[in-house]
Amino acid sequence: MPPKGKKSQAANKPKSGEDEREAPLQAVILADPFETRFSPFTLERPRCLLPLANTPLIEYTFEFLANAGVEDVYVYCGAHREQVEEYISHSKWKSHLSSPFAKLEFIQSTSHSIGDAMRDLDTRGILVGDFLLVYGDVVSNLPLEPALAAHRARRAKDKNAIMTMVLREVGTHHRTKAQGTKPVFVIDPSNDRCLHFEQMPNREGKHFLSLDPVLLSDHREIDIRQDIIDCGIDICTPDVLALWSDNFDFQAPRKGFLHSVLKDYELNGKTIHTHVVTDHYAARVRNLHAYDSVSKDIVSRWAYPLCPDSNLVQGQSYRLQKGNIYKEEGVILARDCIIHPKTVIGRGTSVGDGSVISDSIIGRHCQIGRGVTIQGAYIWDHASIGDGCVVKKAVLANEASLGRKCTVEPGALISYGVSISEGMTIRGEHRITRAKRKRSHDEGCIRSQPDTSIVGIGGYGFEFEDSDEEDEDEIVDGLVTRGHLYNLSDLALSAESISTLNSESEDDFEPSHQRSEAGSFVSIGSVDSAASQHAANFDHDAAASIYDSLVEGHESANIQLELTSLRMSTNASEHQVRRAVVVSFVKRLAQLMKSGSSVRDAVAQVFGQHKELLDRIMFDKNSSSKVDQVDFMVLLQADLAHRESGDSILLSAATKLVEMDVIEEEGMVQWWESHKSSDEEAMRKVRAKTQQLIDFLNESSEEESDDGEEEESE
Amino acid sequence: MAEGTAIATPGLSSFLKSLKTTPVEPSVAYLISLLKRRQIRNSRQCAVATTALLLRVVGEFKGKDSAKLVERIRQVGRRLTSAQPREVVVGNIVRRVLGLVREVVEDHLDAETNATSDIGHNSQPHNDSLSRPTLSSTISTFSPLKHATAEPLDASTHQSETMSDSGELPKRPGLLTSHTSYVPSSSAPLVNSLFGLFSHPDTPSTSNTPTGHQSPDNKGMLTSLNLERLADFSNSKFDVKAEVMDGIRELQDELDQSDDLIAANALDHIHSNEIILTHTASTGVQKFLLTAARKRKFTVVHVETFPHDHTGTHSVLLTGKNRDHSGDSEEDSFKPLRAAGIQVVMIPDSHVFAIMSQVNKVILATHTVLANGGLVAASGARMIAAAAKAHQTPVVVVSGVYKLSPVYPFDIDELIEYGDPGSVVPYEDGGFVDLVDVENPLYDYVPADLVDLYITNLGGHAPSYLYRIVADHYRTEDINL
Repeated sequence: MPPKGKKSQAANKPKSGEDEREAPLQAVILADPFETRFSPFTLERPRCLLPLANTPLIEYTFEFLANAGVEDVYVYCGAHREQVEEYISHSKWKSHLSSPFAKLEFIQSTSHSIGDAMRDLDTRGILVGDFLLVYGDVVSNLPLEPALAAHRARRAKDKNAIMTMVLREVGTHHRTKAQGTKPVFVIDPSNDRCLHFEQMPNREGKHFLSLDPVLLSDHREIDIRQDIIDCGIDICTPDVLALWSDNFDFQAPRKGFLHSVLKDYELNGKTIHTHVVTDHYAARVRNLHAYDSVSKDIVSRWAYPLCPDSNLVQGQSYRLQKGNIYKEEGVILARDCIIHPKTVIGRGTSVGDGSVISDSIIGRHCQIGRGVTIQGAYIWDHASIGDGCVVKKAVLANEASLGRKCTVEPGALISYGVSISEGMTIRGEHRITRAKRKRSHDEGCIRSQPDTSIVGIGGYGFEFEDSDEEDEDEIVDGLVTRGHLYNLSDLALSAESISTLNSESEDDFEPSHQRSEAGSFVSIGSVDSAASQHAANFDHDAAASIYDSLVEGHESANIQLELTSLRMSTNASEHQVRRAVVVSFVKRLAQLMKSGSSVRDAVAQVFGQHKELLDRIMFDKNSSSKVDQVDFMVLLQADLAHRESGDSILLSAATKLVEMDVIEEEGMVQWWESHKSSDEEAMRKVRAKTQQLIDFLNESSEEESDDGEEEESE
Repeated sequence: MAEGTAIATPGLSSFLKSLKTTPVEPSVAYLISLLKRRQIRNSRQCAVATTALLLRVVGEFKGKDSAKLVERIRQVGRRLTSAQPREVVVGNIVRRVLGLVREVVEDHLDAETNATSDIGHNSQPHNDSLSRPTLSSTISTFSPLKHATAEPLDASTHQSETMSDSGELPKRPGLLTSHTSYVPSSSAPLVNSLFGLFSHPDTPSTSNTPTGHQSPDNKGMLTSLNLERLADFSNSKFDVKAEVMDGIRELQDELDQSDDLIAANALDHIHSNEIILTHTASTGVQKFLLTAARKRKFTVVHVETFPHDHTGTHSVLLTGKNRDHSGDSEEDSFKPLRAAGIQVVMIPDSHVFAIMSQVNKVILATHTVLANGGLVAASGARMIAAAAKAHQTPVVVVSGVYKLSPVYPFDIDELIEYGDPGSVVPYEDGGFVDLVDVENPLYDYVPADLVDLYITNLGGHAPSYLYRIVADHYRTEDINL
């Protein structure tokens, strides 16, 4: 909505008088932080739409941006993109009548880490000036002008000051601070430059911080600070994106990007600064523990005016009563139920006789029976709790229901639509869901049957098992403070862990399987991981460069040239080259299909245009055993095995390849017969559809052999 | 809290600027979001923003049907008040404008019936709202007493008819009408005549304007305006919109002038060598004191009003500029009291009781004045008022009429806004944040019996008299928006 834009620009002008002011303030919201800390809830809903004090998280982020006078907002969606878009386009932020933003756009991509997202942003080139980078879960009432002004002043002096991180100072112990992995910032207080960043405990699981002695000699004074909430608000320049692009192995913004850029200061000469604020509220809902503490902060009005009774979302009608009790209109309370302070109750919720509710947030249209005790719990919309239940420090998601006399112990998470039958006790470590893993063919453990040992007879739901548990020790930084919990969560909590994983098994290529499947970054590359321990970077670089070329529609010859030079420089094997091609082609395919092309069109577009390239990576046209072609097909098959509708893609890709003569019929048949293509369950599954092609080929080759085998002679 | 030295932060000034270029609907939404985000706060800023917005709403209203206009204003008003129910001033302004529309229409009808009674009667079904029994407007504007002869029953039935016609919300029953009804319209004879016994000589006109020549009150002006036009008014097309817009502009003038008009009373209340106690960084109070300072020497004891307004208080005392208002271009800066040769002593809030015995008079600024004579003011006000009561020190409240609300404080808790406890306890103190519940009310409710006098732009009034001014300024049918 242009007038608004003009307005605030006009308001800016007289005071700043700088040229840089001309550019509108842009912001990027990373709606999906590519983490699984909110599992099992994030299986069904994107994190940014989870309710925090009965208001979706992203509303707070938008409020913050509107407060800061941001004009252009780009929302970077990941998992559950449709839901995010659906929600936002119906919210006041999108309607041109009421939105404070001049522009609000969604960016969709197939990226599955923040690093990919940033690199993708760089290629899009939409961010022209300084921009804000925030997550879709920031809660802050911070006025940003001082930070922006400081950033611009630094920038005017030194073009290399590329980023300013806004940090909130808190004491040594604070509930809203990150509990598991604690960030440590080393800052030169004279110019607020961040010199070093480390997360405690570090990769080795130790609490040591090793500082470059140069830092000590170069700076007269340094602060080593750990009393800080990193609220994930960064003021960036486009140079930041360029840096991301230059470094393909960066995945996480702090542990990866920040740490490395600071370490390589000698190399790149870029400086990153901090802006530590001591008043106002700023926090990120980065895990369930933070969810708990930020909820408490909001209810206790620390984030004022971001309080329930500000009714941020249209249609809310919360009113504050004494003792921080917020009730929406139309709450039905029985005469002798007791509502203790620090409670939020949404519209249409009814509470039965003798129930006691304290320190809890209860959504809309919940049914709470008689004699229920709810303490410190988060109960989302439409949940129902039977008579005599006791719920303490737990989360009940939408439409969850508890039978009579259930006990939910602290720390339990009960996801959407789960029903627990009468008299059950849910222990604190349970995370119960009824969402089927979409990736279940990959997992091999479909458990759609309710687990009666947990939910009781007649209940519905089963224990959520995080496939990454072994890899990442993904512990939901729970609602409950438990010693061992934190120790575990220290190991790796997040997207940060991606980089750890990669560094350990670097051949892992992260095929871009659907992020909505929430989870593992274990890659199919591991099929032959042993073969490619050397030249580890090649995979990544090559695939990325081919992919970029595909997106931009470069000619085959150019791609080929680039690929060859890469191969030469890293001494990669032909197998690796093929794998890079397969991965990038499939990635491109997936992207095209996501944007609406049919399988056939996508295949035709991707494979059809690059016959030359494909020809140059398989060198066995003239030999009788088509090893290279088989290898290529196996790679393709393996990659597709993990994708949605991989079988049909494989069918049309195979057909196309035969049509183009890239894969000869013999090669195709050899592939079909090779044991690699039928070893595993998943592999067999994905190639099932291709059976018809093989049948056809077998038939036609019989015919053709009569005709003189012209096909094969080529 | 959210606003500071604003560069990009939206606020009142950015709203007023955008109002010129933006269409109405986005402007309404914008104001709502500003109110919700508390980027426009303070009664004054709210009042200015609301008037400006309503001027625009009326300006862009299409059609001539005044009932629809009333409904439109009311709808906007409802959205604004529900966005921030504690900024009562927003509702006040909306009600004032609604009353204005009704008045313009009624006056017009009167005029028409006077001039050409046929047309007047014919036009009634068209302008199907707000018709009254025909009265000679010349009398009605000047004598509430004579006016009282009109039968209240008749009027109320008429009103209920118009209600159903224009599809308005259900109104209060007649009982209340008779108590707080609008003076020039038919009101209960008993109240009016009893009251009129005392009020008549002092307040000849409905607006209770003490000095007719500089009356900021729109109704007085309007009616006189109408009277002038009466002659050539009859057959020409009647433009409700233009008149209402004129009225709103007068309302804006009233907002601009109210501080000065209040200050004009200063010499009656502040005498030489008095010790005056006040609080907050209110511009109105400062102007009031400054006006008195021109002629008299006295001492001001200023309470710091920690933690909400202490920065503002400090800067007002030192420089005369309210830091919080720096974004507000209209806010003309003035010299601090010190420059006027007044001795100013600033004390922390905790010292109020100790010093109260020496104080001659307490002057309070307000956030909102309620119809029962109570007020909502910056937190600390009640303590000051209670201390003053204990020492029998007179408490004078300085407030523009626009802050006077027809709302009765049935639920005091609802009126009081709670702020960020961070200004009392540092958020850094993790233990405190986790284990202690801190409440930080931004406002205090001061009951009417702790207040001795109100000084408004209309003059001085006893708290018990306020209902009267309410009745003069708001229509009963508008009290529930």
